[in-house]
Amino acid sequence: MGNPIEWSSLDSTTRLLMNQLHYGALGFMVLAYTVKIWQLLKKPAAGEGTPARGNHTDAIRYAYKTLAMPWEIESQKNNMFRYLEFVVFHIAMAVGIGWAFMTPILTTTMAAPAVAYPAMGIFALGALIGLSRLLRRLFKADMRAISSPDDYFCLVLLTLWMVSGTLAAPLNNALFITAYFGLATFFLVYVPFSKISHYVYYPFIRFYVGKHFGHRGVFPKKGTIQ
Amino acid sequence: MAPQSEKAASFVKNVQARTNRQHALSFASCVHCGTCNDSCHYFLATGDPKMTPAAKMDTLRRIYKRQHDWIGKVIPPWVGAGLPQTDADLEALKDVFFGSCTGCRRCTVNCPFGVDTAILVGLARSCLVDEGVAPEGVLSVMKDQWETGNQMAITQQDYLETLEWIEEELQAELEDDTVRIPVDKQDADFVYVVNPREIKYSPMSLSAAAKIFHVAGLNWTMGSEGWDNTNFGLFSGKPDLGGHMANLAYNHAKKIGAKQMVISECGHGLRSTKWEGPNWGKANPLPFEIISMLELMVDLINEGKIILDPKKNPRPVTYHDPCNLSRSAGITEEPRFCLKRACSDFREMTPNRADSFCCTGGGGAMSMAEYAKKRLSVSKPKADQIIKTGAAIVATACHNCADGLTDLIKEHGIKAVQADGKEKLLPVLNVCELVADAIVIPKELKKGPRRPRPETKGKKVLVVDDSPDIVKYLTTLLGDNEYKTVVAHSGSQALSMARAEMPDLITLDIVMPGKSGVQVYEQLRSDPALQNIPVFIVTGEVNFRELMYQKRVQAPEGFMKKPIDEDVFLMTVDKILDAKVRRSAN
Repeated sequence: MGNPIEWSSLDSTTRLLMNQLHYGALGFMVLAYTVKIWQLLKKPAAGEGTPARGNHTDAIRYAYKTLAMPWEIESQKNNMFRYLEFVVFHIAMAVGIGWAFMTPILTTTMAAPAVAYPAMGIFALGALIGLSRLLRRLFKADMRAISSPDDYFCLVLLTLWMVSGTLAAPLNNALFITAYFGLATFFLVYVPFSKISHYVYYPFIRFYVGKHFGHRGVFPKKGTIQ
Repeated sequence: MAPQSEKAASFVKNVQARTNRQHALSFASCVHCGTCNDSCHYFLATGDPKMTPAAKMDTLRRIYKRQHDWIGKVIPPWVGAGLPQTDADLEALKDVFFGSCTGCRRCTVNCPFGVDTAILVGLARSCLVDEGVAPEGVLSVMKDQWETGNQMAITQQDYLETLEWIEEELQAELEDDTVRIPVDKQDADFVYVVNPREIKYSPMSLSAAAKIFHVAGLNWTMGSEGWDNTNFGLFSGKPDLGGHMANLAYNHAKKIGAKQMVISECGHGLRSTKWEGPNWGKANPLPFEIISMLELMVDLINEGKIILDPKKNPRPVTYHDPCNLSRSAGITEEPRFCLKRACSDFREMTPNRADSFCCTGGGGAMSMAEYAKKRLSVSKPKADQIIKTGAAIVATACHNCADGLTDLIKEHGIKAVQADGKEKLLPVLNVCELVADAIVIPKELKKGPRRPRPETKGKKVLVVDDSPDIVKYLTTLLGDNEYKTVVAHSGSQALSMARAEMPDLITLDIVMPGKSGVQVYEQLRSDPALQNIPVFIVTGEVNFRELMYQKRVQAPEGFMKKPIDEDVFLMTVDKILDAKVRRSAN
């Protein structure tokens, strides 16, 4: 693996990127998301004045949990490979974001093989899945029909980020570290403008989905998909 | 680029104004993952990439992105944002939102986010209707509901006469003069509201319900007004019509002091009257509970007020979950409870409940004759579900689904051996019909052979059909039941025979060589000498609905699809002739 690079040997641009710019980008992202949520909440919510048939709380809880219950949703149950791809990809994203903030603070720990190798592994998986999704979007007609330039660009960006993460994880190459933090910083600035911001909406839409279908007794779902 | 046509600009403005928080979330949350593709029968049946839920909704989502997405405002093509420019663009949207989506919500329950396609469809439809860009049948039905209070423009006289006729039929069947279909009975335990289809074309389900209520000894009534449980405010996305229709039902129920409102087996009806209507009509809280006929039957069975013998329904039965019941009203277990007790051999479809495929009927899609072919072309997923069960009968708790399923069963030639030992297309029955057939009546009565009433005995029926087999079948059937018959084998002959014989009723086929049944029908209605002769359309041609819903002419007195169900045919003939006799007497 080689010895981890000395932080002091990194040039000033890289250190600026890893610290001030990176945290600045994070701050920008948080501000942008705050504005997005405020714009969303400005819109009136459709009311539900009828007596409920089901239990709202149970249904909302169910709505939040379904992502982790592939057997409950036909689209997940019938496509377990794609479901696992989705899980691993999002774990890789979470690890990537965590890695970017932890590394400047806990460099020695993050450089240790016990941490670096698993990080490389998850980043590599993330890159492979990103590439697989990109190819699927390019070569399947039904996916092409619903893809805008932003859809393709997000996948390219995240795949490259995962590739750079795979290479940067041992923390022994300044170029790869710079590439990784550069992409991470750009990612934080770009995300509020792209579809990647979907995760901000997730808690809201699942809340309303749970409330609506729970009110009518549709959620939690009865019976099983046979 | 801003819209170039006034209509397109107005449409865009209305989309912006009517987008609420839930719409906005459904617009913004879609990540184009493609998970919904496998949920949509339009895509599964055609493989057309433009038929996936995401692709269809993107045609509206692009407007939201153009107006709200930060990049969409500045670099629209980057995120697929844009605005409709011309009237032709609105026509294309009409084809998507009326013609390519039934709003069944199967994609919604399978979407990791829960993008609610049905509410986006409702939003688009309401804005298109406001620009007059909607199928003719939809606009016609909306007009009828505004003007007459029901979607088939049934007059109060027709409605009350039909109820009287059903009451008399049931009295004869049960040999019990105390059978009643009360109207506007004060302080009844519940008022029963129905789908106009049950009055106009399919009184068997209302008859079955009345039988159940009589055997159970219930204190019930129907209303002389506000009796239509359907609501094209739901189908068109127009809450003003939605509120109007809902309030008609609520106000009349309050007027007669009903303690509860029971909705007959109609998915659209239950959803619109129970769940959406109180919000549209600002009628919350209502002084009575609204329940489905299915829930009532469960209570009656549990309380022992009706006893069922499943051996009376020995043929294998499967159940189709109507979308509006299973995915918008939570009613899945009640019909199964009833069917398992009413039938010897109940078989589940797979998948079922909230995952069941749409029948393609779309809670009102029958009114859109121009999309009938497309609707049938995407019915294979449902057809495959039915075929796999090996059932001989399909039960469903929705009249719209009953029509949709009947059409697709015929389209795919799904047959099974029936009670008479012959292989026939699967019948589609409401749950209450099977329950009524299974009822153990305290005084066991044998249902006698049908005989026409004295008033209608000997009436003359002109049978018009180019098929010698159908002509022979119908003339024999009518003759055995003491009607006189005359025959025409073509459209031209039909008109000359009608003038010569002045029959009491004409049964009319549609697809005939030379002059078609549609042309004959139009000429009958425009000829002063012939226009008062009732017409009973008997056809395999689905597109006759175009004439009915587009209302170029007065609707026929009866309509049924081939293959001919003998009981339904005779019941309808008797009903039409009885109504004519009553009118002459008055």
